[in-house]
Amino acid sequence: MIRAPLDIPFAAEANLRQISSELAEPGWLLEDRLEALRLYGELPPEANQLFTTYLDLRPVRFADVQPYTVTGDAAEVSADLPAGASAFLHVREDRVVGRALSEQARESGVVVDTFANLLRDGGDRQTADLLALAMLKHGPTLPENDKFAQLTRSMASVGVFVHVPAAVTLPGPIVVRWSVGQPGRALISRTLVSLEKRAHASILEEQVESTPADGLQSLWTGTMEVRLSEGATLDVAAQEDFGPKTVSFVNRQATLERDSTLRWALATVGGAFVKSRIDNILAGRGSSVNQVEIGFGGGNQVFDLTSYTRHVAEDTTGDLLSKGVFLDRARGYLKGLIEIEKTARGTDSFLGEFAMLLAKRARSVAIPSLEIDQPDVRRASHSSSVGPIDESQIFYLMSRGLPRDLARKFIVLGFLEPVVARIPLTDAQDRLRELLDRKWPSAESAQAA
Amino acid sequence: MTLTQRELVSNDRSKFDFKDQIVYLTQTKRGLTRDTVEEISRIKGEPEWMRQFRLRAYEHWLKRPMPTWTEGLDRIDYDKIVYYRKPSDREEKSWDDVPEQIKQTFERLGIPEAERQFLAGVGAQYDSEVVYHSVKEELTKLGVVFMGTDQALHEYPEIFQKHFGTVIPPEDNKFSALNSAVWSGGSFVYVPKGVEVPLPLQAYFRINGENTGQFERTLIVVDEGAKVHYIEGCTAPIYATDSLHAAVVEVVALPGSKVRYTTIQNWSNDVYNLVTKRAHAYENATVEWIDANTGSRKTVKYPSIYLRGRGATADIISVAVAGAGQHQDTGAKAVHLAPDTRSRIVSKSVSKDGGRATYRGQLKVAPGATGVVASVRCDALMLDDVSRSDTYPYIDIQEDDTTMSHEATVGRVSQDQIFYLMSRGLTENEATNLIVQGFLEVFTKELPMEYAIEFNRLVKMEMEGALG
Repeated sequence: MIRAPLDIPFAAEANLRQISSELAEPGWLLEDRLEALRLYGELPPEANQLFTTYLDLRPVRFADVQPYTVTGDAAEVSADLPAGASAFLHVREDRVVGRALSEQARESGVVVDTFANLLRDGGDRQTADLLALAMLKHGPTLPENDKFAQLTRSMASVGVFVHVPAAVTLPGPIVVRWSVGQPGRALISRTLVSLEKRAHASILEEQVESTPADGLQSLWTGTMEVRLSEGATLDVAAQEDFGPKTVSFVNRQATLERDSTLRWALATVGGAFVKSRIDNILAGRGSSVNQVEIGFGGGNQVFDLTSYTRHVAEDTTGDLLSKGVFLDRARGYLKGLIEIEKTARGTDSFLGEFAMLLAKRARSVAIPSLEIDQPDVRRASHSSSVGPIDESQIFYLMSRGLPRDLARKFIVLGFLEPVVARIPLTDAQDRLRELLDRKWPSAESAQAA
Repeated sequence: MTLTQRELVSNDRSKFDFKDQIVYLTQTKRGLTRDTVEEISRIKGEPEWMRQFRLRAYEHWLKRPMPTWTEGLDRIDYDKIVYYRKPSDREEKSWDDVPEQIKQTFERLGIPEAERQFLAGVGAQYDSEVVYHSVKEELTKLGVVFMGTDQALHEYPEIFQKHFGTVIPPEDNKFSALNSAVWSGGSFVYVPKGVEVPLPLQAYFRINGENTGQFERTLIVVDEGAKVHYIEGCTAPIYATDSLHAAVVEVVALPGSKVRYTTIQNWSNDVYNLVTKRAHAYENATVEWIDANTGSRKTVKYPSIYLRGRGATADIISVAVAGAGQHQDTGAKAVHLAPDTRSRIVSKSVSKDGGRATYRGQLKVAPGATGVVASVRCDALMLDDVSRSDTYPYIDIQEDDTTMSHEATVGRVSQDQIFYLMSRGLTENEATNLIVQGFLEVFTKELPMEYAIEFNRLVKMEMEGALG
């Protein structure tokens, strides 16, 4: 695979120190950044040899972009809460433009704020300690073999901390929105999420376009570093719909303690290039992760969707499903690795990678891998398929009076529905349906060609 | 090229038997240098193009970095290896030198006395001529060529040069480069147009000291509409004095032909077995690799089929048993380059006693290969929790009307099944053994009967931990 020369001019110690000092960060955070920069420097673009030949960075132009150093509050920060949400944080380019907590969230001690606000002089000591704890206490919160995760960790201009105290149940989702797209600029961000014992919450992450695309690329790199304490449950839904000139790198890592449950529902639709990596670490007995992920690419889009699931403790469950639909000249790489360690007796693990190619020049690569050290499993399997739309399904729908094109479209939308159905807010769900729907005309242009 | 019977009959082998001409050397110096390569070519009296081919391969061997995507290849001491030995020198060891364990294995497998010495590598005296003679006559009548690769280079230069190194060029990978530089021995098969070889060609019967080499090179060319089944290896452990075996096998299946290649690999457990095997299947040809690996310390082998002509079919069955100290890094590749081609890959692996079984495979559908139907199925059985099983499939699809499915499961022997069999009077060991044999049946049923029986016996012994 052809790799773009990995010249990332802004990843330098001087820039790092400048960011850290402008944000008036404590020493431990500076140390954390320096450690990340060291790892970044040592790592190849893909440290896992299973995937090195399938890293496709051709569309990425790091040299095009200049990252923001500091992301602070805008002059006016909106305090409107989206209907049905429990909390809201909106970062637009280098400014926080929206921040709100429901009354219930505030009263029960839920935190949704930027690192800078939490760590500044005169801030709440206790919350600052919680953040430090979340980041440092339990070891790495991002994969230490991932160059791009370490890039983000070293150079982030904004951090978001979400904390839900023990036994708190939030009825509505915490909405975190990222708006980027300023040509030639990069927003580098981290998001830390910690749920204490038996806390129940959901997060909706929205990645959207801020300005219409122009000549130069824009870049967003982000993380979601999750820790679920005993018995906690978290639903994360994300929809990515960046503009056509935006490149994004996202790392999501979750560590699950005893009997905790995490459900991911992730939709990748926009952007020129998306590289997403998820690391699920099932560290506590009886913990469980369910992940559904869709990528719907057209034009020249490249999606690289990777997931790692490590079963460490006994009786853990992993249920992972990736689906891709590719139009035009889009390329999709669905990579996965399930690891069942010696200690993980009673594991139930499934990884499915399914792709639909809807145009002659589209391409799909699936690498569903397994590494197993403990055979005492309930299930350890993977499954993958690639194919065109099933003609018999089209025939059936046409026999019910649908024109052919509509029949095809319904089948594709049905293929992607498992993620749509899991988006927590009706508005957001409708928006995603609309996004997927809008992808369709480009399919027809490809068909005509 | 067509071979007349006269040409075949008139083979005066002694004319090409270089062994008698060698007076100055018995083996090359340890390690690999340009001189070693030149020397091998000189000893063998090869044409200039082959000398150039070897040197080109040697240059590539030097340049190419050691692969690190699988472990342990850097543990081989390449400077300690003798890259070429005059055949007779391999036969100096005596039966007494053969480890007791190997002797016992022969005993238990029921290998005839005469074959044991040969298999143990202590004598080329295995008298297969009686069996082989009648086979040879029949083949000659059909115009089939079946001989050592070195011999074929001299006797069939035209067809040899046309195909040699075209399926697997030296630059393909580090070990195909090594093999291309120092190759010696192996089989050459040519089946003329429309000829169906009625019985399997068994390397086993043709083999002599020369052909058990570490760097054997096999070339099989099957002409239009012809059909052949080739079998290499045998169930008995091959006792090697050298720790590296790097072979290259090239198969050319011309339009409408059918080739089946069966391997039972059972090198002794100190051998690194690094093999590149690939077939080109042209229009409407069918290629089948039936590949089992039970021996060696580490095997790295992914039999591949490039489907180059419309309507070609690929069928690969890969079986691996990894016991104590072993790593079977095996799998299969199907590369679809032409429309309406089909492939099926079935992989079965068993790991036990700390062994590691890895399936590594590739399924690729290139632009232009429309109407492809492909399936991959990988099943792994782990018999205890000190062993390891990995599955690494790569599925790269570049045509929208491809139909591809891939399934993989990993598990252990079900306690329910064991319990049931024990309730029918079997011991636990017998029950496990039966289940493993059943698991591997997809492979066994493809073997000629005597091989199937021996293979089942071998599995049973592996299960009992009787093999070292």
